[in-house]
Amino acid sequence: MKLFIKFDINTICSLYLKQNLEEQNINFKTLGFGEIEIEDNLDVEALEALKNNLAPNGFEVVENQKSVLVQKIKDAIIELVFLEDSNNYKSSVFLAEKLNHSYGYLSNVFSEVTYSSIENFIILQKIERAKQLIIINEMSLTEIAFLLNYSSVAHLSTQFKNTTGITPSAFQRIIKKRRENLK
Amino acid sequence: MKWIPNFNSSNSLRVIFVIAVFILLFLSSIAYKHNQDLNESSKLVMHTYEINVQLERLMSAIKDAETGQRGYIITRNNRFLSPYLYSRDKVNASFVTLKKLTADNAVQQKNLENLFKLIIQRFVSFENCLKYSDPKTYDKRKLDNHMFGGRILMENIRFQVDQMNDIEKKYLKKRLEIYDQEISLSPVFSISLFLTALVFILLAYRQISRDFQRLKIFNKRLLISSGLMAESEIIGKFSTWQWDLDANKIDYSDNQFRLLGVTPNSFVPVKETFLDFVHPDDKEAVAKSMDKIVEKRNLPFIYYKIVRPSNEIRYFKSTGKLLMDQQGSKILLGINFDITDEHLLNIELQERNRELEKSNKELASFNHVASHDLQEPLRKIQTFISRISEEDKAVMSAGGKDYLAKIEVSAKRMRVLIDDLLLFSRTNTTKKEFIKSNLNDLLENAEAELIEVIHEKKAVINASKLPKLSVIPYQIEQLFINLIGNSLKYNRAGTAPEISIESEKVLSEDYPDLLDQSIKKFHKIVFKDNGMGFDPQFKETIFILFQRLHSKTDYPGTGIGLAICKKIVENHKGYILADSTPNVGSVFTVFLPE
Amino acid sequence: MQKNALNILLADDDEDDRLFFKDAFEEIKIQTKVQFVHDGMQLMDHLMDPETKLPDILFLDLNMPKKTGKECLIEIKKTDHLKNIIIAIYSTSSSEEDIEDTFVQGANIYIKKPSDFNTLKKIINEVVTVNWHYHTSGLNRDNFLLRLK
Repeated sequence: MKLFIKFDINTICSLYLKQNLEEQNINFKTLGFGEIEIEDNLDVEALEALKNNLAPNGFEVVENQKSVLVQKIKDAIIELVFLEDSNNYKSSVFLAEKLNHSYGYLSNVFSEVTYSSIENFIILQKIERAKQLIIINEMSLTEIAFLLNYSSVAHLSTQFKNTTGITPSAFQRIIKKRRENLK
Repeated sequence: MKWIPNFNSSNSLRVIFVIAVFILLFLSSIAYKHNQDLNESSKLVMHTYEINVQLERLMSAIKDAETGQRGYIITRNNRFLSPYLYSRDKVNASFVTLKKLTADNAVQQKNLENLFKLIIQRFVSFENCLKYSDPKTYDKRKLDNHMFGGRILMENIRFQVDQMNDIEKKYLKKRLEIYDQEISLSPVFSISLFLTALVFILLAYRQISRDFQRLKIFNKRLLISSGLMAESEIIGKFSTWQWDLDANKIDYSDNQFRLLGVTPNSFVPVKETFLDFVHPDDKEAVAKSMDKIVEKRNLPFIYYKIVRPSNEIRYFKSTGKLLMDQQGSKILLGINFDITDEHLLNIELQERNRELEKSNKELASFNHVASHDLQEPLRKIQTFISRISEEDKAVMSAGGKDYLAKIEVSAKRMRVLIDDLLLFSRTNTTKKEFIKSNLNDLLENAEAELIEVIHEKKAVINASKLPKLSVIPYQIEQLFINLIGNSLKYNRAGTAPEISIESEKVLSEDYPDLLDQSIKKFHKIVFKDNGMGFDPQFKETIFILFQRLHSKTDYPGTGIGLAICKKIVENHKGYILADSTPNVGSVFTVFLPE
Repeated sequence: MQKNALNILLADDDEDDRLFFKDAFEEIKIQTKVQFVHDGMQLMDHLMDPETKLPDILFLDLNMPKKTGKECLIEIKKTDHLKNIIIAIYSTSSSEEDIEDTFVQGANIYIKKPSDFNTLKKIINEVVTVNWHYHTSGLNRDNFLLRLK
């Protein structure tokens, strides 16, 4: 029987973090979307230790304010893209409102830190979601295009191809063949 | 076997003859009956005559008695009494005879009784007369009475007799009348029956002679056709044989013997003799199929070799069928073809085919590998050129810089050539998988490939709805890319390219000289552009490999693009045409089968 | 962008290509540590060596002697501790079937070897950038497919 298990990374990660920090006896506060604020004042050694502890598992200790903001922007974008009725939101408006900064400022910070633009990141996330939807295989490309706020299937196809270099149908084909190989 | 004509005459003839015989029997029975009737009637006449005679005898006897009596009374001479005495006996005798004669007739019997009574009375009266005329017992009055009474009795007797005669006469008359009636009918009846019989016999005769004629004709035709058959067997190098399953008799046509390498009718064929001719390799298969024929009622084509007495090997192809004729007897009909010539030809063809395929494959892989392997050094050349930085170029001589630029150009050109060659070779070699595809999608992909050029030249592409066809998707995509790419490349200076793509269904019969008529419907896709066009006299050479209409400096092109288009269209069993008006535009028409 | 240098491994039998690659990586802004192997056997030996620090991205040429890139790809994807390495096929072939086939076999990226040095720089830049995005943004690595010409 074929089952698809969607896992919420956030739940897993926060659980792990909590465990880890509790083991290290560090007090913390959960801030919400993928963030934990550490209340204790850690000295350099402890900080290094913490970083070394968490880094192998993919956790990044962000010290820089700008980096924090960028992370928030990313999270917000992910929320926007993966929201069910995201059609009504204009991304710039959404981000500005959510993070309480002007879009221009957010844009600059993002580019400075990541060397790529918010728009690119949004596209990346949208295509990522499209990929997920294609894999699940319950929606047609038209439906997916509509859900992700594209004006047409062609638009989705073009952006998909620009981002990944292959067409959505080719992607579909490859995933399908990969599945067959595993059987 | 339906071709044997049905001669029904045997049945109808039998019927006719039976009818005729019956008629004859009937006639003879009638004749016999006639005879009998004749006998009967003459007997009747005799009968009546006898009765008549007897009655007259009776009368005369009584008259004699009367006369005697009268004589005696008058003369009293005894001599007159003897007739009277004899008459009694005569009367009795006659009476007995009459009784016998009228035994069949109740009325007459009654009359006879009455007559007898009367006669007895007369005799009584006679006695009385005698008595009363005797002088001893003479009584004139009584004598007169009795004499008169006697006279009246005589009259009564006479009357009775007459009556009886009349009755007999009447009977006779009636019977004779009946007889006449019967007789009168008979001749007519007989003659008509006779005529009928005659008619039937004539009919039978006509039928027989007709059938005979037909038989002669059919016979003649048969001889002709069997003669032709034998000839055609010789010419066509085939032969037939028949196997009557019920009689277990096998018949070979003359050519069968000849094909086996022997003279016709040189032996009596049986089932096993054929196997003797079969090549040892095939003996088992042939024997098996021969057995199968009987149960399966037919023999699908079987191929085998035979060895002639001269040791020459010939290739045969045989088939057979079990047939049933009208009488229900089973005949196996077999046909053998000597296909030695075709077979050898076939082998040769196969050989050549194999060689061609091999050489094709070699060419194709040579093509592919060459293009592929040629790319490597070319790429290196180009990359190393790109590594030469601006600083390096700054310290080169003007000539050096120029040469470098020219190297770059040539390298680029070579790359394009190789890419196109590679594409061309791929059009041939990859396995051709036809998938039902939406041509609109393929067109979209093609446009996506060319998106930069389209934007750069501000081109407009208008396409009508394209059909869904069974095609090799990437090849059709390539076709679109090449055609549209050409239209973009050869646009009119200063004019943005406008390309229109129209599709419609057409019937192959509308293009009898161009399209393969065995495919009924085609899709006609027309690519029109407003580019610079070309001289229409080149509209056919334009598709030839490496043919170019412009120098390579004017327009970059390898001369392979349209050749690839043609190859792709041919792979799909379609057709492509080009036409143009210089400075107005070009039209490329692609026909793809339904 | 990141604290540690990115570990890059290139498997290519062609000396010139290795040179281009090395120069390109030296000229991009991102910090990288680049290693080379010359053929398929060497590649697998290197990867299976427990001392080896596994690369973040493996660039794999298809046409290699001893063991082809495709064979290596299949083997790597079958090996538990190796199958999560991001693999970029770096090849001269542009046949659609080959490209799709490598994706089906589990490759993440397909790069057609460019004939211009600047293009090469651009390409590896993009690869590294996208790869970093995949690391940092919780994107599903299994769906990471990218084709660069």
